[in-house]
Amino acid sequence: MLILSLFSLGSCIDIFDDLTIHNDGTGTFKYTINLSSSKLKINSILALDSLDGKKVPSIQHIKDEITRIKAKFETKTGISNVVIESNFIDFIFKIKCDFTDVNSLQSAIKAIVMEENLTKNMNDLSHIWISWDSQKLTRAIPELTINKTKDLTDNEIILLKQGKYISVTRFDRPIEKFDNALAKVTPAKLAIMLQTDMYSLIQNAKLLENTIYLSPLKN
Amino acid sequence: MFNNHLSVQSKNFIYSTEFSKNTTSNKMKISIPMKHLFALTLLLFCSQISAQNSEDLIPRDAVTVFSLNNITLLQKISLDELVQYEFMEEVQSELFDGSTSGKTIKDAGIDFDQKLNVFYGKRDDHEVSGFTFGIKNKVQLFTVFDDFDRVDTKIPGIEYYTSLSNHLVIKGNIGVLMRVEPLDDKIIRFTDSIWYARGNDSPWFNESEGSITDDSGEVLEEEEFDSDLNDSLEFANGVETEFPEATENPNQKNYNELKDSVLSVFQKQYLDDLCTDLFVNGNNLKKSDPIFANQLLHKTEGIFYMDNSRNFKKAQDFWYIQSIFPSLFEEINALYTGNVMLGDFVLNNNYIELKIESNYGPELGSIYEKLNDSKFDKSVLKYIHESSPAHFTYNVNLREAYEQAFKVIIPILEKEKDARLSNTLLTVQLLNEFIDKDALFDTYKGSMFGTFNGVKKVKTTKIEFQYDEKTFDYTELKVEGEEEMPLFAFGISTDRPDIPNLILKHIASLTSQCKNYGNYWKFDNVILECIPLFIINKNGLLIITNDEDLALNHSDGYGKAALSGKAAKQIKSSGLMYSYVDWSKTIEKLPREIFTPSQNEILDAMHQKTGIMEVVSSKSTKEKTTFDVVYNCSEQCGNSSKYILDLINSIYVLTK
Repeated sequence: MLILSLFSLGSCIDIFDDLTIHNDGTGTFKYTINLSSSKLKINSILALDSLDGKKVPSIQHIKDEITRIKAKFETKTGISNVVIESNFIDFIFKIKCDFTDVNSLQSAIKAIVMEENLTKNMNDLSHIWISWDSQKLTRAIPELTINKTKDLTDNEIILLKQGKYISVTRFDRPIEKFDNALAKVTPAKLAIMLQTDMYSLIQNAKLLENTIYLSPLKN
Repeated sequence: MFNNHLSVQSKNFIYSTEFSKNTTSNKMKISIPMKHLFALTLLLFCSQISAQNSEDLIPRDAVTVFSLNNITLLQKISLDELVQYEFMEEVQSELFDGSTSGKTIKDAGIDFDQKLNVFYGKRDDHEVSGFTFGIKNKVQLFTVFDDFDRVDTKIPGIEYYTSLSNHLVIKGNIGVLMRVEPLDDKIIRFTDSIWYARGNDSPWFNESEGSITDDSGEVLEEEEFDSDLNDSLEFANGVETEFPEATENPNQKNYNELKDSVLSVFQKQYLDDLCTDLFVNGNNLKKSDPIFANQLLHKTEGIFYMDNSRNFKKAQDFWYIQSIFPSLFEEINALYTGNVMLGDFVLNNNYIELKIESNYGPELGSIYEKLNDSKFDKSVLKYIHESSPAHFTYNVNLREAYEQAFKVIIPILEKEKDARLSNTLLTVQLLNEFIDKDALFDTYKGSMFGTFNGVKKVKTTKIEFQYDEKTFDYTELKVEGEEEMPLFAFGISTDRPDIPNLILKHIASLTSQCKNYGNYWKFDNVILECIPLFIINKNGLLIITNDEDLALNHSDGYGKAALSGKAAKQIKSSGLMYSYVDWSKTIEKLPREIFTPSQNEILDAMHQKTGIMEVVSSKSTKEKTTFDVVYNCSEQCGNSSKYILDLINSIYVLTK
């Protein structure tokens, strides 16, 4: 609720996702939300009883919820080693987990979103965000059902434009080619990065779509 | 009302002219005998008396009414714009279907010689809202209300149309568009009762998963209900209430569907009660409340009426007192008798004025009168900068008000023979005896002021993630950031600076964050762990502020740069309160997240406006306090109708 409020209030938010896929399809997923640029705003929101008619949670309540979600996430098939780090001074939240295959990761995230009733639009969940066939990886990010950009003030738009979404994907073997021309590859061709600002992303979630083709596996 | 009389007269006159033309004999008219002429005059007079106006069809249940006398002002306003207002929310859904596109109120067949009345009322178990208006052209009207279907009704003399939850009743040339909404508590109570009586388990319990779930996705076949108003009339006439029958299979109608059915039955019942009262028994607010009837006579652009005494009776917050201490509730209720707010909208070339009169009964009035028995603290003015974009002063005598409230309320509590209440009463009376009231009320006298000093960039720290271009691994770096912070100062009058100093010294001895710098106290990193807070405790004022400039450089006030002259005189001559807002300097700078949704609605209404708004109040008397809200437009109040609607909306949001 807090993060959604920050989106709608036009705050500066940085999000990083970092996905490592090994040749056997197992991997590690890291997701970081950095709200340190908006800590003044977050603290003022946390000081309120309610915002837009909804109760504002206390820090203790947020901590409890994080523990609960973590426990829930750990029970999902194919997910292990779930670690969540919360920094309530700078408001940085990190989640890290290992997965047996990308389908398990995707199913686990979708299940949590559904169980926690985090989206009113179930179509958000019908989309396949990630697929892997040992030669190519196709990935996107879930489309955000936030159509508030037209109501934002100039100042709020500026703040959203300052926020970044960075998506990194790492492999065991070199990348051969990729579809999204905005992507950057490391010199060793083992990692690829896509970056955009939060405002552009809210308007067009397809900006981070990419299909990455890997060099053939050596036997 | 006056305009309407004219229109009724002119209609009769036109009819009489046509009659004489048809007969082609002017002499016939002259030859009418005197007794017939008298009878004709009497007939015309009676027809005027019996002719109803839009304000005659406001239900008795209405506790808040806005009545626009001069609705010609609204002719140019687009319907699309009108339906965006919160006060239209309850009855606007059918106007959102494209039928209003590109149309103005003028195209809607509305009679501009009649008042437009917006009303809202709340009873123990349901709310009613809507508006009444004159109709000039029914064909045009139904191009806007094109989703409404006519339904037969047994009530004579009315036409009844309905569209989902909205109801349009036309009587003569008056339309009443209304919505009746049962309160959720009652609907849930009845639904639960029926649901469990049928042997169902908790509707949120999913047997297969053994957990509580939402069944909103499961939609079963709905039973049919007759939407005819006649049925609902029978309902009120004592015919047994029939709720949807369940079959042996409890899943035939799921919980939400059952709830919808219960809602529908109660909606019909309340609507029927309202229609019977209004159209059969001829009761209405104007008849039942002479204060409202008198307010309607005002020749201003519009009036408003809010009966707080009835609001109090219906307030859900008092249900506990009402059910546990009914006689106490009645006594408190009696205190609120006569608590009615009345207002007038006055429109001028470059200002809009809202005159509000807050009336109350003698006992409550005696407390308010004592509350306002206070001399204005001039030292406050030194701390308001002449260019301050927004400020307020509040001038009260808390000690006098406390003593008077004690005199009024304690005898009421003493009448209650309840042990818990008696214990509380004893505690209050003992505290009253033992506490040093001189020290307490000299420390906090009650008068206060606040200023908004604009927005300042403040230094914060933030974490930046820096990527290694070779590996895309990141490192976290703490860098300096900047965020905007609104600056406020808030102060109270005090005759005992030693008491706050005592507390501050104690805090300073416990933490290094609090230090005395002579003219002010500073709390380091107290706001969001990076911004200091300052306390100025001198000149008979205790001021808390986050404005460093005020604390460091103006702890004795702004000197020559302080508010003076006419502006200062205006504040001094105000009674209970004074406030000033320069919208052009304030509206964009206010941190919206610190306001409640309803306050934000008001800010939205004032968005993109320039000009100055002042609220001045009179001294409170035993009977009333008056408030004068003046909005001075920086240029001419060009689209005055828009300004008036914005004001109505603000009051509606505040009072709902």
